[in-house]
Amino acid sequence: MADVKIRALHKWYGAVHAVRGMDLDLKDGEFNVLVGPSGCGKSTLLRMIAGLETIESGTIEVGGQVVNGMRPRDRDVAMVFQDYALYPHMTVARNIGFGLVARKLPRAEIEARVARAAGMLGIGGLLERYPRQLSGGQRQRVAIGRAIVRNPRIFLFDEPLSNLDAQLRDEMRGEIKRLHQEIGTTMIYVTHDQIEAMTLADRIVLMRDGIIEQQGGPLDLFERPKSQFVAGFLGSPQMNFVPAKLTLQDGNVALDIGDGILFALPQKLIPRNTQAQGPDVILGMRSEHLRRSPAAAVAEGNVRYPVTIELVQPTGSRTYITFSLNKHPVVAEVAAHDVQRAGERIEVDFDLNRAVLIDPHTGLVLA
Amino acid sequence: MTEASTAEHPAGRGAGLAPPTAYALWCDRNFKWLLVAPAVALIAALSIYPLLFSIWISFVNYDFSVPGHDFVGLKNFRQVVADPVARWSVVVTAMLTALDVTFEFLLGLGLALIMVQSFRWRGLIMSILIIPLFISPVIVGQVWALLLQRPFGPTDYLLSQLLGFDVTISWLTSPPWNFIALVLADVWQWTPFMFVILLAGLTAIPPHLYEAAELDGVGNWSTFRYITLPYIGPMITLAIAFRLLDAIKLFDTIFMMTGGGPGTSTYTSSYYLYQVGFQQFHLGQATAGSWLFLILTAIIIMGLVRRLLRAEAKP
Amino acid sequence: MNIGHLGRWSRLLRFAALALAILFVLGPLYWVAITSIKPSNDYLAVPPVWFPSQPTLIHYWAALFAYRGLDGLINSVIVSVLATLLSALLGTPMAYSLARFNTGGQHLSFWVLSQRFLPPIAVVLPIFLIYRSTGLYDTHAGLIIAYTVFTLPVTIWMMFAYFRQMPRSLEEAALVDGCTLWESFIRVAVPLALPGVVAASVFAFIACWTEFFFALVLTSRHAFTLPTVFRAFLGFQGSQYGESSALSMVSLLPSIALGILVQKHLVRGLTLGAVRG
Repeated sequence: MADVKIRALHKWYGAVHAVRGMDLDLKDGEFNVLVGPSGCGKSTLLRMIAGLETIESGTIEVGGQVVNGMRPRDRDVAMVFQDYALYPHMTVARNIGFGLVARKLPRAEIEARVARAAGMLGIGGLLERYPRQLSGGQRQRVAIGRAIVRNPRIFLFDEPLSNLDAQLRDEMRGEIKRLHQEIGTTMIYVTHDQIEAMTLADRIVLMRDGIIEQQGGPLDLFERPKSQFVAGFLGSPQMNFVPAKLTLQDGNVALDIGDGILFALPQKLIPRNTQAQGPDVILGMRSEHLRRSPAAAVAEGNVRYPVTIELVQPTGSRTYITFSLNKHPVVAEVAAHDVQRAGERIEVDFDLNRAVLIDPHTGLVLA
Repeated sequence: MTEASTAEHPAGRGAGLAPPTAYALWCDRNFKWLLVAPAVALIAALSIYPLLFSIWISFVNYDFSVPGHDFVGLKNFRQVVADPVARWSVVVTAMLTALDVTFEFLLGLGLALIMVQSFRWRGLIMSILIIPLFISPVIVGQVWALLLQRPFGPTDYLLSQLLGFDVTISWLTSPPWNFIALVLADVWQWTPFMFVILLAGLTAIPPHLYEAAELDGVGNWSTFRYITLPYIGPMITLAIAFRLLDAIKLFDTIFMMTGGGPGTSTYTSSYYLYQVGFQQFHLGQATAGSWLFLILTAIIIMGLVRRLLRAEAKP
Repeated sequence: MNIGHLGRWSRLLRFAALALAILFVLGPLYWVAITSIKPSNDYLAVPPVWFPSQPTLIHYWAALFAYRGLDGLINSVIVSVLATLLSALLGTPMAYSLARFNTGGQHLSFWVLSQRFLPPIAVVLPIFLIYRSTGLYDTHAGLIIAYTVFTLPVTIWMMFAYFRQMPRSLEEAALVDGCTLWESFIRVAVPLALPGVVAASVFAFIACWTEFFFALVLTSRHAFTLPTVFRAFLGFQGSQYGESSALSMVSLLPSIALGILVQKHLVRGLTLGAVRG
């Protein structure tokens, strides 16, 4: 078990600056998820920790040991690959035990540890089969088994579930979380899927273009995003972004969305220095904070507004309706059986207490 | 499980592996060079070194009949250039190469176009058509000599039967028939080369392009010209270039079929240099000549190999 | 697959063209085959004898023993097998290095590739002299070394293409699991590349088996190979008709058989791996 400290890390691929001066502390025993769009550098970072990519500048410390220049085998890390990377010419048992053979452990111990790992993952009956005879999910379990059996101080996962179909992915996600609860080893998990990030992580490290946009607990990032990128990345459906202008209405700061639409702003949403940063803002609202107006009066900090439904998309447990504010599409969540039809006019309550204001020039969240 | 793990190994420290020795680390760091070293050394020994050696030879007197290795400047080169046999051999080489590659290309393309479509005996016919590629060129020469040599070969007889009049061609000894014979042997052996490569190119063309063309009502010739040809363009270049570079080395069939004759009229450059170097033992002259030949080949190689590497570099 | 514009060709035309092609390929081979078993008095028969009434094997006997064809055959086997082995042993690691690490960049690749096109006459002269002075002339070892160098470029390039299309993750998994670079190469990459190694080796073998020029210059009475035996049939006087056919058959049957075995890899072998078959 070990923590990971990364300082001033850089990586270039020719002219491409894949990792730009990154500083990161990953605590011992935590489940850390590196998440971000393709090309953000998350896989590169993972591979540098594993030793599969050279470190040109900066340091990586694992368990207090600087691992720059150390061969992968000496770093005592295990890795689960996206394409499972199982040795096709070896049985499942030999695949799992491969790392132990390399360490010249006695045969009996290898067999015992392989059996134990296989048992943990429910693949005990597959030990004599070959990878080509296994399903995708089974192969992934073997890959995980190969990692577990070595008792490494860090587990690395490189998008392990991307090749599985949706149902299998949900199932394996749960298993990986359970695994971490059981063994407690430090885990570093790379994915582009924000749901995997949210459900698995103790800490999310959201990356873009080689830098860390924000890191912290899942709910932290979800409820208190620091930038439009973070706000838009986490959460499904994506947060609604509507451009607007700050204006005065009856002496109070309000949002002018255009087309005559004015939203009164709750106190905590008002940016500190309204004059200095200019009138342009972007209003960010999550679909679950917009709902069909109930019979009761408008709650504090909410805004009630009539809209015309344009699209209705039921998902079974809830239904998403799309309407426009000044020609900008907005998606709201309604109950499944609150049957609406396109063209209907209804009233929607916008809970601005949970909304964010974003500065369109910097992309950062204001206040 | 957790208690066992802390007892099984202390935190970090390569877990179960002895710390790496300096030797092991050195091997790892230089791994990629260590892998290429033996092959590169061997190739260098038998390629670079002899070539350097031969540069020296071409500038000195190296002759089994004249003693000593005095420096003679450009004399060897001048002798080669001045030799009418050498000059004629270049013409022969160029002519045979051009004819060979042209016929091989056209016939190969035709065969490839025919064989692209799947049909019942296709696999078997493929296996038959590629047979000549695996035969030693000397033996190809021998086989064709057996076919064409009068009076033992059946060729003249067959032609007489086919054409209705008596054919009495001395295929191996009289021009222009001996040239035709040489081209025939080469075409027989190497057309499958073109055929195989062009077929690979044709089968790589996505069928939906043709389906779309058919739906659009595009005619046969236009389809060929605007869809097929551009797609196999690179393959054509590759096949012709490869074949060209091999054809200019023409030696084996000359050796077996005509012996360069009559006289020296069917000498190719390689055969000429062989004669000068190993029959007459004017090694200095032969080496100088082979350098000139090498330079010519190098120019052709430069263009083609660069292109090949670029094609291979594409992910 | 259907090439639209060919669907219009009459099937008859296609059939005729293929029949001609097959005849063209097999005809000469048939002639050689029956000549090798024809008794000598059938040689000059007009019309030519298409199938001898009294086939005989004496030409094979003469070719193998009187003309020392058997010695040539044995030498060919020894030299081809050993050169092929050496080529695979040296070429596969180099191909791996080029494929995984881009060792030496464009320059090394270019140099190795261009070796394939080196006109033999340019190197054989100095090698001849070098061999004479180092005692390698007319030895198995000498020819084996020469053939190894001669087949290395093709072996390397075929294996290069093969390694390139193998996913790296297997070797990386081995590295993380506890292998050194060498171990991940030997225990994971090579076993998986074995089909490619076999195919490349077969091509190398055929190249050595059919090679004439180097053998002609660098060998004499002792280490001569099968193709060089045909020198004895130059300017033949008819009495060698049968022997030369017999020896031709001895040489071409094995190489054709091997060639057909690897025809799946043919395009890759012919184009040095630049094209997938």
